[in-house]
Amino acid sequence: MAANEGKFNRRQFLKASAAAVVSLAAVGSVAYWLKDSRSIRDRGLLRPPGAIAEDEFLFACIKCGLCVQICPVRAIKLADWNDGLAYGTPYIDANVQACDFSCDSIQCAETCPTSALHFPVFREAGEKAVAALEAKYNHKLPPDVNPFKVQIYAMKRAYKLGVAKVNADQCLAVHGKGYKGPLTHHRAKLRPPGKDERVYTDQIMVDRKICDLCAVYCPLQEDAIVMKDRGDGTMIPQVLDGCVGCGVCQMVCPTEPPAIVVEPAEL
Amino acid sequence: MAFIYDFLHGDKRRKPLPPKKKEELPYMKEGITYKEWHDRAKGRHKWRNRRWAFLIFINLLFVISFTFDMGVLEGSLSGSRLLGLYLMDPFNSLQELTIGATHNYIPQLTTNFWTGFVTILVFYWIVGGRAFCSWVCPYHFFAELGEKVHDYWVKKRKVKEKTYDITVKYVFWAGFLLLALLTGELVFENLNPVGILSRSIIYGPGLALLWVILLLAYEVFGIKRFWCRYVCPIGVTYSFVGELSPINIKFELDKCGHCRDCQDVCLVPHELWFVKRGAATREVHYTGGDCTKCGLCIDACPGNALSYGLRDSDKILG
Repeated sequence: MAANEGKFNRRQFLKASAAAVVSLAAVGSVAYWLKDSRSIRDRGLLRPPGAIAEDEFLFACIKCGLCVQICPVRAIKLADWNDGLAYGTPYIDANVQACDFSCDSIQCAETCPTSALHFPVFREAGEKAVAALEAKYNHKLPPDVNPFKVQIYAMKRAYKLGVAKVNADQCLAVHGKGYKGPLTHHRAKLRPPGKDERVYTDQIMVDRKICDLCAVYCPLQEDAIVMKDRGDGTMIPQVLDGCVGCGVCQMVCPTEPPAIVVEPAEL
Repeated sequence: MAFIYDFLHGDKRRKPLPPKKKEELPYMKEGITYKEWHDRAKGRHKWRNRRWAFLIFINLLFVISFTFDMGVLEGSLSGSRLLGLYLMDPFNSLQELTIGATHNYIPQLTTNFWTGFVTILVFYWIVGGRAFCSWVCPYHFFAELGEKVHDYWVKKRKVKEKTYDITVKYVFWAGFLLLALLTGELVFENLNPVGILSRSIIYGPGLALLWVILLLAYEVFGIKRFWCRYVCPIGVTYSFVGELSPINIKFELDKCGHCRDCQDVCLVPHELWFVKRGAATREVHYTGGDCTKCGLCIDACPGNALSYGLRDSDKILG
């Protein structure tokens, strides 16, 4: 018949409670072990813009997926159980789809209810840039100056996902090689620098005598990466302080594995 | 404590009304046999069908919003945004606040978090706390199907029915909050089948889904509705919220034939304690916080003694 009709049975309760306490202790121990061995477990996930320090990020993120949903290029994914305590938290796989800067308002951080992706950093950076711009023109902006562009550029400079690192052995330019073919072999979205529209990367055909795709497609251009002439007809990409780790260079790099990889800010 | 218990469960402590005499039973009053009366509820699934349709619709709305990039219902059941209005999983929020209190993180939480948390509490107070479980939770849906298989196995004597004291869920509730406090991690969220299932449905399945399948298997071949009845702290949080909900299941003693079919279909039969012959202490009773307002008992009741009703509306309206 019906289970437990509301009569409190102390013996039954104590028995069940003991089982509950044991299983909770087991779960807690596993959590502790995962926390302690994070250096082994944590794969150094590339976090979306505005991510706070990893220790705090892991509890601040409630795994809701709102950032995944709002990203217009679907760059954000959720980690799985094999990422330990990072399960359900957002990351970017720049090999597949980089954060290409084309959203123009950093919604992923703005939408985060628990500030695991901390938006105020970007808001303040944007406001500061606009204030500086207005001060520069004595608070009378000429019609050809678009404060929005200045604001969004400043916001994006406040990103720090990580820093791109070049693996010279792998790099085509270092070997003086060019690249001809589609920008990427899989379908990804990208807004090329200076353009207003997003394109599919597999539909762009490129033909470079010496491969410089990372520098050509970098959203921050010469603020973040330049091709340095090595004098012997070969070149090497040089990552500058302006690099924010968006991962576009990694996504468009033709070699397998990519010769330029974003190292997460946390590492 | 005694005062709170009396306030919530005072009806249970009153002296029971005298058991109905034979001629007072509804089928006797109508002059039909018990079987004729009892068969009236056979195959009636009005509320179950409505509830399943609603549950599937809500979960599908998440999927559609993501797939077609529409801002209708975004996020997942761990935290979502309905047409711009934030909604937060209450137990997830409680863990967040527990850790936040010790890590000085509470000031960082956004207004959206607070509105989402308060909105969900107010909403589920109105519609009845654990209504979330039966009307929204995707795990409940699969567990409900699993329960049917489980009942079949029990009938075939392949599985022996075992029950535990349901009070143990409060131990889990406090325990998971304590784990959050001690480890500084959202420990429960790594095991939460509601969140795992919701994210799997919306964003694609992963390894974590194996845990949900394991739990379901345990409920089918082991203990009936193990997670929902004895463990789930989300359900417990909602049960606190819904303890005195205005919308509730109403029981009218004069229509009851004491067949107790309602308790057989109920996830939380102790909430229907008053249907036993000679147990009711009032002519009208309302279910408490554990009731998920699923409506299975309403469908099952041949005498229509159970219905959705406003708590104490008869008293207030005279």
